[in-house]
Amino acid sequence: MTILVTGGSKCGKSSFAERILEGFPGRKIYIATMQPFGEDAIEAIERHRRMRAGKGFETVERYTDMGSAVLPEGCAVLLECMGNLCANEMFSGEGCADPAERIITGIRSLAERTAELVIVTNQVGSDGIAYPEGTADYIRVLGLINAGISAFADSVIECVYGIPLVLKGDMPC
Amino acid sequence: MILITGGAYQGKTAFAAGLLGISPEDIADGRVCTPEEALSAGCINSFHALVRRLPEPVLFTEELCRRNAGAVVIMDEIGCGIVPMEKSERVWRENTGRCGCIIASRSDTVVRLVCGIPSVIKGELP
Repeated sequence: MTILVTGGSKCGKSSFAERILEGFPGRKIYIATMQPFGEDAIEAIERHRRMRAGKGFETVERYTDMGSAVLPEGCAVLLECMGNLCANEMFSGEGCADPAERIITGIRSLAERTAELVIVTNQVGSDGIAYPEGTADYIRVLGLINAGISAFADSVIECVYGIPLVLKGDMPC
Repeated sequence: MILITGGAYQGKTAFAAGLLGISPEDIADGRVCTPEEALSAGCINSFHALVRRLPEPVLFTEELCRRNAGAVVIMDEIGCGIVPMEKSERVWRENTGRCGCIIASRSDTVVRLVCGIPSVIKGELP
């Protein structure tokens, strides 16, 4: 099963995503995509570590190229979050020609190699602000990625102030 | 408690006035009201704006849920954009998310409006 969890800032996406995998009997891998740059990122990483503590996740930090991630057979993966992965592929290191295509292909590969795949993404295109080119491009690419993953995901869930809404498929938990 | 949310200008206040029958004098405006007024008002509008003005918005929201458990809270969904550059804007945006989650979890009914169309996303309309 591939499940995409989306929504705005601090709307309960992570808690919900963790809950989906609560009863999973095998190994649970948490792929953390946020690079620890800056005070906010370090705070967010710490907060999420505390939230996950005792829930049985093994944390793997991986910032780009999900297609090459090595995973134990039959595991469940929680990938958090697509907003950071997208920014990493677009703006860090050497960058790549088609980040949306590279990410969608990588996620498809993860889906094929895992028993359960839960991806946390973000809604970033609804503030109506005209941003400079780099940011505008980021909004466009993340939109393409979300639509691309939704096309093959079994379920797509949007969180609104902690309330999960089914956009596609069934409520996973 | 009832939470009415959605983006700006999606018909939240009109919905509250129409279907829930809230009269203007029962409404505290989160942009200008005092915290005490919010704790006793039948309806708090623009709660996201009150969040911005409070020193401890999460603690206040928990107190509100205890002391004004029958209130109708109207607040914008503001987190679906780019992370703001300004630290104070980021803090406000995150606090609004946290406070919204608290109110939604304590509410019997949560309604979300898009283009004036209400969807009941938790519970039932009273």
